[in-house]
Amino acid sequence: MRRYVLRRLAVGVLQALGITIAVFFVIRALPADPVSRIVGMNPTPESIKQARHALGIDMSLFQQLLTFLGFHGDGVFTGSLGKSWVSGATVLSEIAITLPTTIQLIVTSFIVALAIAIPIGMATARRPGGKLDKGVFGYGLFAGAQPEFWWGLIFIFVFYFKMGIAPAPLGMLDPELTAPDAVTNFVLIDSLIAGDFTAFKSALGHLVLPVLTLSFLLVGPLLKMTQQSMSRVLSSEFILYQQASGLEKKSIGRSTLRSALAPIITLTGILFGFMLSGAVLVESVFSLNGLGQYSVAAVLNLDFPAVQGVILVISVISLFVYLGLDLLLAKIDPRILVK
Amino acid sequence: MSLKRAISAAAIFSIIVPTGLFMSAAGSTAATSQVTFLSEDVPAGLDYDGPSAAIPASQVGMVNLMEPLVYYKKSGKSPSGVNLLKYGYAPTDFQGRLAESFTKNGLVWTFKLRKNVVGCNGEKFTADDVIYTFARAKSVSGAAPIGYFLSAVGGIKDFATFDGKVPLGDEVKKIDDYTVQITQGAENKLFLPALTIFGLGMFDKEGMEAQKTAKDPWSHDYANTVNLPSFGPYCLSKWTKGSEFVLTANANYYGGKPAVAKIVLRKVPQSANRLAAIRTGAAQLTERLTPKEFASLKGAKGVSVGSVVGNESLFLNMNFKVAPWDNVKLRQAVAYAIDYNKLIKNAYYGQAKKWKSLVPSSYPGYSVPSTQYTYDLAKAKALLKESGYVDNGSLKLTYVAEKESTLGPVVTQIKADLKALGLDIQLDPLPQTQFGDRQLTKRDLPFAVNDQEKPIGVDAGYATYLFFITGGLNNMDNYSNKIVDDTYKAIATEPDTAKRNAGLATIQEQLAKDVAWVPVVEFATQWAYSSKLSGITWHPDNCVRFFDLKI
Repeated sequence: MRRYVLRRLAVGVLQALGITIAVFFVIRALPADPVSRIVGMNPTPESIKQARHALGIDMSLFQQLLTFLGFHGDGVFTGSLGKSWVSGATVLSEIAITLPTTIQLIVTSFIVALAIAIPIGMATARRPGGKLDKGVFGYGLFAGAQPEFWWGLIFIFVFYFKMGIAPAPLGMLDPELTAPDAVTNFVLIDSLIAGDFTAFKSALGHLVLPVLTLSFLLVGPLLKMTQQSMSRVLSSEFILYQQASGLEKKSIGRSTLRSALAPIITLTGILFGFMLSGAVLVESVFSLNGLGQYSVAAVLNLDFPAVQGVILVISVISLFVYLGLDLLLAKIDPRILVK
Repeated sequence: MSLKRAISAAAIFSIIVPTGLFMSAAGSTAATSQVTFLSEDVPAGLDYDGPSAAIPASQVGMVNLMEPLVYYKKSGKSPSGVNLLKYGYAPTDFQGRLAESFTKNGLVWTFKLRKNVVGCNGEKFTADDVIYTFARAKSVSGAAPIGYFLSAVGGIKDFATFDGKVPLGDEVKKIDDYTVQITQGAENKLFLPALTIFGLGMFDKEGMEAQKTAKDPWSHDYANTVNLPSFGPYCLSKWTKGSEFVLTANANYYGGKPAVAKIVLRKVPQSANRLAAIRTGAAQLTERLTPKEFASLKGAKGVSVGSVVGNESLFLNMNFKVAPWDNVKLRQAVAYAIDYNKLIKNAYYGQAKKWKSLVPSSYPGYSVPSTQYTYDLAKAKALLKESGYVDNGSLKLTYVAEKESTLGPVVTQIKADLKALGLDIQLDPLPQTQFGDRQLTKRDLPFAVNDQEKPIGVDAGYATYLFFITGGLNNMDNYSNKIVDDTYKAIATEPDTAKRNAGLATIQEQLAKDVAWVPVVEFATQWAYSSKLSGITWHPDNCVRFFDLKI
């Protein structure tokens, strides 16, 4: 097991680095010069030269790559992702602020989506062709075609503007509240650490609509996968044997679920990796300063260090997520490791 | 699990729990003397020589934390009650801010500095802070040295080479702790106007030097990422980039403690959300809504809209070096083909007026040329025929993609107007950075709509220098005309205002004849705010000064 994990980690790190170096060259091939944004008020040849020097893009591509990697000072190999060309702050510090917001959003959304999808998926698998099964089929088709940002705006209009029961979509906390001291940069955790339950409730309350929006769409594919996976396992011989042996329904249900979990977990992992930057529209609608918004702004501003940093971070997170999933799957089904 | 249990579990989790959380989070009461200001973005950096100085949101932070030596005086209000400033060149047109008084003798300006000015760090303002500010500007050490540029615009002596090799000399001299002399290289009416701009706000020398490092002796990193030590009316208390920027009143501000104790600036990218928050009272001030959204607030309870036609304008630029736009008849045909009144009504909801020249009408030196382009489709068609241009559907109208919500209706109507003329234009949205690169650096955009050029020096001559002089800094159209160049050269150092204005009128007449741009509209700069809020003042950088506000 240990050798498997180490091998996966080694390969994954090389993959992440390879992707980042590829992105390094691809974004520099874009047909726009990032200095124009900086020198906007004063685009003299001297200021353009000054800006190009300040950004380090007056060097050759190879020198820029070596600098990025850390051969000429701080770089990837020394744990630095460089400085943002927009704000001047280190990319690592900016990702450290934005990533927790996105993780809070998508982890909470997945918890809600799985809490809804698994029980209902199991129930519909037991009664195929029933009313719930048909409803789930329709919902699966419907949810898969929905633009999440539109639903987010609808939820804001209904719950906040018309009914007045939702907080304003102004970020993670009420403007009147002071954010707790940043320890982990997860507002929910930091507010608990600080004992600030007002901030905790406010943060949780501000997450409700964004989570509702995201989980509204996540439930569809997870529900379908649960239903199909459960149906497949329910018709397998060992379940039939358990039923014939007169085991309790609860016990049969547990072993059915355990056997059906693998594809559900795999789908969850894939969706999680996608959501790390794919939640940008929900982040924008609800004014959440998340990684999606940060990465889109970085691309639009041609903020090369930020783009490179985001790609690398998402690659590394995906690496750990997929490794974690594989280990979980191996725990559920030990045959996987043998294979 | 049974069906009933499954549904019950889902219901509890997804309905009842969130409702409880809603109720606890919604409807918080606003603290007293706090203004929540929602904007498209929050400051990305605070160093005006840094990479984010050109970003309007960053300028909001700079102007509220810093203080200039001199500034314009308030004078009058717009029809909607927004306070206005009076612009000019003479010393009597300006009021002392960090400078209590100022006099001129030949090319030498003497500033008597205000005493007992205390910054957020508790440091006192002295001549050393002025010397530091100009020395830093002259070092050309930041990514985008605006301080140097503005010093050159103001004609300060020895700010010309832009290489940072020559340190500050006697051109900015300390006479005593509260007296500074600044020497110009030649007569230049833009000296005092340049000092009012955010890019020459005064730094707190002690505060900045406490953060310097061997690699960064002018503390650019600190100003970009942490704070901006200065002597303004507000102090930075919290800054989360991309999210929130919180200011608290500087109790020691020489102008008196600000009426609003706390400003919370939040990034809310969606204008619909900013609108909703203002209507429900969750925020007290917002900006950059679409014209339709501002129009929807007419008559809204508890909300006011302040508006002023300042220096925001929309124009079409057509590149003189890219065929077929070098054909003046074609340019004139386009100018006559735009239905300006319809555009003002449909795209701007009446919140704009026809732009009659190529400099903002609020700027000194503005004049209305005799050549005016009004909607006349028959004349446009005749000019198109005269031009000899035959459309092959290849012409593109470029605009900034991120501004789709405001420019979308504009470009759609322009496309329709030009279709009626006989030109089948394709719309070409480009990301902002790419648009800026092609417009300012490469200067190869053939045909574009632009609504973001606001000459930062409040002067028609400055606008000419930027946009229309051969090789001018922002001469995006590659326009060149000897009459304009020679006239500008003659008036650049002209001390007599009447003669200067006459020269500027000649320039504007020529620009109109050549259709250097097609001036379309001047549109209103607007804010939506709680009816309890007052004091909004229009400043040429379009940034709200929180010290002006009362709640």
